[in-house]
Amino acid sequence: MTSSQENEDDTLDELLKDKARIVELSDDEDEDDSMAGPPFPGNHLKQPRRKRKSKLQPQPQPQRKVLEIPPWIFDTNELFHNDVKTPSRHALDKTAAECLRFLTLLDTQGLPLNSHGLPHLRRKPHADFLRFFIGPLQTGFTAMDASRPWLFYWCIAGLSFLDQDVSEYKERLIETVRPLQNPAGGFGGGHGQYSHCACTYATVLALTAVGGLEVVDRKTMWQWLGTVKQDDGGFRMAVGAEEDIRGAYCAMTIITLLNLPLELPPDASARKAGLTSFTDKLGGIGGGPSNEVHGAYAFCALACLSILDAPHISIPKYLDIDALARWLASTQTTPEGGFAGRPNKLVDACYSHWVGACFALIEAALPGTKDGLWNKAALVRYLLTCGQQTGPQGGMRDKPSARPDGYHTCYSLSGLSAAQNHYWYDSESSTTDAGSGRLLAAFNWQAKRGTAEELEVLKVDEEDVVALIHPVFVLRLEAVEAARQTFEAGGL
Amino acid sequence: MPEHAEDEAKYYDDPEWADIEPIQQADQGPNPLAAIAYTDEYAEAMAYLRAVMARDEKSERVLRLTKDVIEMNPAHYTVWLYRAQVLFATHADLHKELEWLNETASQYQKNYQIWHHRQLIVSRLCPDPASSAAARGPPFPGAGIDVDSLVAKETSFVASMFDKDAKNYHVWSYRQWLVRHFGLWDKGELEFTEASIEKDVRNNSAWNHRWYVVNGKEGSEGVKEEKVREREIAFTKRQIRLAPQNQSPWNYLRGVLRKANLRFSTVQDFCVEFADLSKPEGDDVFSSHALDLLADIYAVDEGRNEQAKRCLLLLKDKYDPIRANYWQYRLEMLDREMGSGIDSHLPEHETRNLTSAVSV
Repeated sequence: MTSSQENEDDTLDELLKDKARIVELSDDEDEDDSMAGPPFPGNHLKQPRRKRKSKLQPQPQPQRKVLEIPPWIFDTNELFHNDVKTPSRHALDKTAAECLRFLTLLDTQGLPLNSHGLPHLRRKPHADFLRFFIGPLQTGFTAMDASRPWLFYWCIAGLSFLDQDVSEYKERLIETVRPLQNPAGGFGGGHGQYSHCACTYATVLALTAVGGLEVVDRKTMWQWLGTVKQDDGGFRMAVGAEEDIRGAYCAMTIITLLNLPLELPPDASARKAGLTSFTDKLGGIGGGPSNEVHGAYAFCALACLSILDAPHISIPKYLDIDALARWLASTQTTPEGGFAGRPNKLVDACYSHWVGACFALIEAALPGTKDGLWNKAALVRYLLTCGQQTGPQGGMRDKPSARPDGYHTCYSLSGLSAAQNHYWYDSESSTTDAGSGRLLAAFNWQAKRGTAEELEVLKVDEEDVVALIHPVFVLRLEAVEAARQTFEAGGL
Repeated sequence: MPEHAEDEAKYYDDPEWADIEPIQQADQGPNPLAAIAYTDEYAEAMAYLRAVMARDEKSERVLRLTKDVIEMNPAHYTVWLYRAQVLFATHADLHKELEWLNETASQYQKNYQIWHHRQLIVSRLCPDPASSAAARGPPFPGAGIDVDSLVAKETSFVASMFDKDAKNYHVWSYRQWLVRHFGLWDKGELEFTEASIEKDVRNNSAWNHRWYVVNGKEGSEGVKEEKVREREIAFTKRQIRLAPQNQSPWNYLRGVLRKANLRFSTVQDFCVEFADLSKPEGDDVFSSHALDLLADIYAVDEGRNEQAKRCLLLLKDKYDPIRANYWQYRLEMLDREMGSGIDSHLPEHETRNLTSAVSV
């Protein structure tokens, strides 16, 4: 027997041991969701609870199925010493166990498979799911009352990532957000809610996706941003609310898409926003100075820097890029192949975007990373085999034991796009518009679909490929370009 | 007029609220997106909240109203912010507020507005701990707050939150703020991190907090001080031995060496304990992190670049294949450095210091 056959048998044996256990998709809250993605209001909400059947996995005949098991699916823990078991280790093992049967394709969940044996991307069910999430919602969604702009963005952007026509939502979105726009500027989560950076960011992105930015009062928006801007150059999320790196990213996105005047020179904003103090010994980035490194905040910082200037200039200027590269690469988990947000934490599909999309940004600043710094095939495999909800419902989820939601669907699609397509920065283009003073760096990204050979390596068919998504603004490229043109003149 | 049976109305029927004209949710067009089917209770409370906010009312009854809304939707960031303003404007008993927050903690532990709110309350109770130094010790009548008692309660509450979730990001951020605000650097925080790490050596949040407690105090040397450095290195090595494939202490060790300006080769023998490539019978590797650090160590010493390469190849092909592309990138960087021969004499972090911009 060749050693690879030996390895396959070992895995099968391991799997067969697993299969002897009853697999129950539990209602319990994910023990890892104390920080389920970035702390946007209410994003931790699961769908309203309903009865779940416990699913007894059918016991197949122990056939010698020839499975191509990619090398990373061997849990690296197996290669090493018998490390002490701790609660983290138990949680990590539990997640690995729930994913293995899907990752190895031993169980394809009755899903239609592509020509490489991976489940197809379930385009239609996921699109239907997103349409549901933006439709009338039951009472159980009350906890999202301060986060409705996120629903607008996740669903509309997500649909656009699946190449759905979202223009049908334009008028409805404009009318929906009108009362969310406060007279003093900015958008809140609902009528009567304070303007908030995250709500404003999500609303502006959703409006950009449908070409509806005309409803935004740019002048009061600018005035409101002035009230949350801090002396140190950073931004509070709302008046009286917390200041962290999300605020800077949200604010710079709003300012740049809408072409609002910049009060401080770009350099001062970045430095004073404390981006340098947000990096820590690891080169990773946390929410605030000295906070633990976290993938979601890393994206906010890198995207913010990529708005301020060309990434190869701004990123190395303020961050330790070698340490950052090491840390980002380290967050890809084995055996699952997705990303975790922090060391020793669990894989979660949303980090497919928060971490996955960071690589295009830092690779623009690192010499000679032609194959990229990360394992795209592993991410694709995780998302297609473990991230897709089965059945007519559709939607994408954190991990198999979690329920799907709009947030995870949107960011899983973004992660797929990061893996399947190429993104690079055009360093020939200008970074500032002489006329309006607008920062242009974020508009200088180019993208193209992966080649047939590359898609082959990723084990995807053409129909499994997600649309090109802007690395900084996380929208279709055309939508970003339209916004750039609309406000080219600038002024207020 | 609220559209529900009169006997369900809580505020509308309450004479105390007769002076308030509730503000119903504004029209969002004929077919709004993501329209939530609120309960009548919630819709009514929100209508009254809009009304009182519109007139900037800060009163006792508004405290009750905000609490009502919070209980129905704890993720409502506006009601938390407004409640804080009302608490301060009415000179409400902030100790009672903390007690209420403690009681409802398990409901709200995954909610992060509550931690900012808590910070606002504690800051208001004790805006300047340094100047409250006179209030330390037994409180006397008419004095301000008993700072020590407040701190003890807060740290104890925070510790109980960690029992539910040892890695709650917001709680650890809050604890960091407590340390900073109350100057708790030498007040048992180090021991707290040690206990947390002992419970779970893989708790990255605990390691992060330890770093902060050791190095975060303004004006302190942290691990630049030899005694501290030696203690931290010894501590970290002990933890690594428990679980050599645990990333957290390896990150911590790198951090200590960098901040203390020590060459990584200081810990070369330690690394070799977990990645011994010298044995004829085959590689003895217990930790990919050890191999990674060894690659950095060997790359610095002239003539050992082949050893560094070997480490990186082992990581790429055998011990950490998921990161094959990253290890390949490191190999290419190594080739580049070997080619140039310029920077390979300097320790990694020293090289970076030459080229990175000075930040103010």
